Amino acid sequence: MDLTRLEISRRTALLTSAAIAANVVNPMRAFAQEAPRKGGVFNVHYGAEQRQLNPSLQASTGVYIIGGKIQENLVDLDADGKPVGVLAESWEASLDGKTITFKLRKGISWHDGKPFTSADVEFTAMNMWKKILNYGSTLQLFLTAVDTPDAQTAIFRYERPMPLNLLLRALPDLGYISAKHIYESGDIRQNPANLAPVGTGPFKFVKYERGQYVIADRNPDYWRSGAPYLDRIVWRVITDRAAAAAQMEAGELHYSPFSGLTISDMARLGKDKRFIVTTKGNEGNARTNTVEFNFRRKELADIRVRRAIAHAINAPFFIDNFLGDFAKIGTGPIPSTSTDFYPGPDTPQYPYDKGKAVALLDEAGFKRGADGTRFSLKLLPAPWGEDISLWSTFIQQSLSEVGITIDIVRNDGGGFLKQVYADHAFDLATGWHQYRNDPAISTTVWYRSGQPAGAPWTNQWGWEDTKVDKTIDDAATEIDPVKRKALYAEFVKEVNTELPVWMPIEQIFVTVITAKARNHSNTPRWGSSSWHDLWLSA
Amino acid sequence: MRILSLAGRRLAASIPTLFLILIGVFLLLQFAPGDTVDAMMAQMGGGDAATAQALRHFYGLDLSIPVQLGNYLWRLVRLDLGFSAIYGKPVATVILERLPPTLLLMTSALSFAFFFGLVFGVIAARGVNKWPDTLISTLGLICYATPSFWFGLMAIVVFSIYLQWLPPGGFEDIGNVQTGIWHVLDIARHLILPALTLGLIFLAIYLRIMRASMLEVLNLDYVRTARAKGLDETGVIIRHVLRNALLPMVTLIGLQAGTMLGGSVVVESVFSLPGLGRLAYESVVQRDLNTLLGIVFVSALLVIAVNFIVDLIYARLDPRISVES
Amino acid sequence: MDAIKRYFRSPAAVAGLILLLVVIAMAISASFLYPRDPLALAGRPLLWPFSNPHFPLGTDNSGRDIAAQIFHGARISLLIGGVATAIAILIGIVVGAFAGFYGGWVDNVLMRITEAFQTLPNFLLLLVLVAVFGSTLTTVTIAVGVVSWPAPARLTRAEFLSLRNREFVQAGRTLGMKDLQLILGEILPNALPPVIVYASVVMAVAILLESALAFLHLSDPNVASWGNLIGLGRDVLRVQWYVSAIPGVAILVTVLAVSLVGQGLNDALNPRLKRR
Repeated sequence: MDLTRLEISRRTALLTSAAIAANVVNPMRAFAQEAPRKGGVFNVHYGAEQRQLNPSLQASTGVYIIGGKIQENLVDLDADGKPVGVLAESWEASLDGKTITFKLRKGISWHDGKPFTSADVEFTAMNMWKKILNYGSTLQLFLTAVDTPDAQTAIFRYERPMPLNLLLRALPDLGYISAKHIYESGDIRQNPANLAPVGTGPFKFVKYERGQYVIADRNPDYWRSGAPYLDRIVWRVITDRAAAAAQMEAGELHYSPFSGLTISDMARLGKDKRFIVTTKGNEGNARTNTVEFNFRRKELADIRVRRAIAHAINAPFFIDNFLGDFAKIGTGPIPSTSTDFYPGPDTPQYPYDKGKAVALLDEAGFKRGADGTRFSLKLLPAPWGEDISLWSTFIQQSLSEVGITIDIVRNDGGGFLKQVYADHAFDLATGWHQYRNDPAISTTVWYRSGQPAGAPWTNQWGWEDTKVDKTIDDAATEIDPVKRKALYAEFVKEVNTELPVWMPIEQIFVTVITAKARNHSNTPRWGSSSWHDLWLSA
Repeated sequence: MRILSLAGRRLAASIPTLFLILIGVFLLLQFAPGDTVDAMMAQMGGGDAATAQALRHFYGLDLSIPVQLGNYLWRLVRLDLGFSAIYGKPVATVILERLPPTLLLMTSALSFAFFFGLVFGVIAARGVNKWPDTLISTLGLICYATPSFWFGLMAIVVFSIYLQWLPPGGFEDIGNVQTGIWHVLDIARHLILPALTLGLIFLAIYLRIMRASMLEVLNLDYVRTARAKGLDETGVIIRHVLRNALLPMVTLIGLQAGTMLGGSVVVESVFSLPGLGRLAYESVVQRDLNTLLGIVFVSALLVIAVNFIVDLIYARLDPRISVES
Repeated sequence: MDAIKRYFRSPAAVAGLILLLVVIAMAISASFLYPRDPLALAGRPLLWPFSNPHFPLGTDNSGRDIAAQIFHGARISLLIGGVATAIAILIGIVVGAFAGFYGGWVDNVLMRITEAFQTLPNFLLLLVLVAVFGSTLTTVTIAVGVVSWPAPARLTRAEFLSLRNREFVQAGRTLGMKDLQLILGEILPNALPPVIVYASVVMAVAILLESALAFLHLSDPNVASWGNLIGLGRDVLRVQWYVSAIPGVAILVTVLAVSLVGQGLNDALNPRLKRR
């Protein structure tokens, strides 16, 4: 492909991004003067049905999109990404970091009328977060007890120091509270409330027709007075992306969250005045595209080969031509949206350099054979995104140019997780690494050794580095935020040098929403938040 | 009463087949990489080993395979289809919820295909080798050759997006849930494109069979006798020809029942219909063994039932044939 | 010879043959006309057909030449169709021959198994097979073949049932021929024609089944198959609908050709059913 084509596509990309930016920057300011309109039904695209709706038991955006409006968390993020109290009013940590006290808000009741107390917090933390919630069990590993001296106080006691900012950053996702009086008898996992949630939130559960829709109505007794503005939210189950886009255009859907439409539809609707297409409101849901190496292949155990592979793939070109404005260059496991931890772009990087790639491969001793091939690798792409599929094809094309033949092996979700993270039956794998506001939650596990086989999205590469392990462990228990950030900067430098996983693309989920919506995308995890201030103009 | 006892005997005769299918699918799925907990992890976007372990125990996946199979068969004998891992509800409940859309889709697709296949087949046979025949036969073949999902997608683009005549998917209008006759009409409106898409291939098949069957019967002795008696062509067709020409058509319904259920997987996926086909696809992807086996069981029963009804109709159409043969 | 003459007297059969030869020609000429890997990046993604003389049929979402994929895809479709059909016919003949020849409990057992396969919706079984054995070209082809054998089996069985008591078989038995000799040497050659003709139906269905799998993203992504292209085009259906439309037409034409040829063969070999 010649440069002129590259130039034109860049220009188009810039124009499109300017158009979208114009859409993004102003809408909220322009309407700041309008008075909220009460009423209306908000229709949401629900693309992947989950097994249950309780966010205390499952930490995923697929649950928060519904459960997060019905149940509430102790702490959420405000417009600037700082922790703001929801069910908790205030908090303080002891000097040794082993005790964190939360003061809870008074006068809140569950949808069935019973009062919300610290007993609910104690029950949820000890029985759900610690035992069942994915990532919750790791986070609360050293939680020994939650004391409740009175109905408004919950004291979290830890065996080892828990950095306050880590806990506060994790609680928006991992801090949803369920009602003790509903879950205390019987098996938590089989409780019917998991499909008919009872919470304290702005919307009350009404109905769930499996395979079709979920409905929740306005909670007239919600503790924030005057809120919510909407009368009802309907989540429609639509698994086909093209059909969802059609329904948005037909006016039957108001909002498609978390990149629920195809890339080309999102780009197209972005130019339509009726819709706003933006990454704003999703900064807390950043993810990186990965290239995971299996060290059990002797070729990949050689660092020169890994670096050669990185140099051989032109990630910026891929982003410009295939992902448009919805992605940018990644510089490592901590994305640039993480203001508290991003170490900056000055870490070891691997820019596109085909000549260097070839030289490294030759130097490592893997010369081209008679047919031009050096060796072949099996690439397993995760099945959850259009971008992953395009990226895996691009990897295949790029590596064939330097003499590495790639065989793409398709799997469905369960099969992929088993093949890669349990059976280690892969050479290269590519998927998403989800960053959850703090590296200790779901990022460092990609690098820390000692992960049990079969744990997905963890270090299963057959690689370990004691230096990296120590940096990770120190950072997880370091209470001083400044020192913590420095430790994570050190961590990024180390893993970018060794390159057990390459993370060259950074993406934020894209929101497609009707231009009539107001007070949307106003927190970094807006799609998951409670929408108590969301309203629709006429 | 006779029909009931016949049905009972037919069912009893099919039991070995049913068991063969269920055991076969069960054992086959054991070899699939990953189990339902892996699929659940994939959906959750993360999880640790301890959670996975606990979940496996909860679903009974840590038992040995023969024990699992034995448990399943023992429950089946007591007509307990088990618990669905994906939905957290009894499989029987899940299937009953998803059965109506699929049944509606299949019956409307079948009726559409049968009726138009019959009509066009007769027209083609009447005007054999003249242009109506060539046109209809060619169009029929094109319908047969068109991939159903492709037709479905193109139909959405044309009828829902450009013309905006019909909804692009879903089973009913959620915004304003209708009641009574309006509800029925609403569902009907949503089913037009899916039924058309699913019925297209079968339309082509029925058309061809009807035409061939008609041609074969039109030249038989008793038809010539009827014509000689002075009966007009339409009367000949309706009174004498159709009854016999219908026999192969009816047989075909029985044979196609299974294929139609398979075809509904794709159609339900394209049109976002909450039916059994998509449920089957979901349970394969999520390794929900109980649900998949439940669907297999139900669809096998459906095929057997349809074949039984077909045999009954057959016997009425041709008195020489008795159902018990 | 009469059969061949009869075949060519039908314009539909001739048209089918021509179309099929066109598809075969595309498959053969693919390496000459498009020597590069059809899945290699060729140009900017999502170019419209006829907008760029390099890409007469445009490019897909990965920037690959659609025309190259159509030509190479012809190979894949014919390959999958051919091999899967061969597998299905082979299994079908073996099962049907033994069931029809021996009767009794052999027939009973084999027919139960056949019934089991026929009662289970074949697309469901295909999904399960692909989930278990993976999505490579080999496994997909074998899986499609495995779900398609019941019909040829029944057909073969019906033929064997009617032929096994004929005079020439009894003569052979008197001469002391063994069972296997009778099956392979005497009955099979007479039973084959209707089964071979049915092969065209099996092939048509095989091509459609593979494309449906590819549409659901369950087929082999390392080959340029038409179904894969339709599946890709699903993501850009609204505006760049040609990415799905073009391979859809290709499948249509191929299946049409195969069906017409099959129908022509059927009419040519069974003249008493033709009304000309």
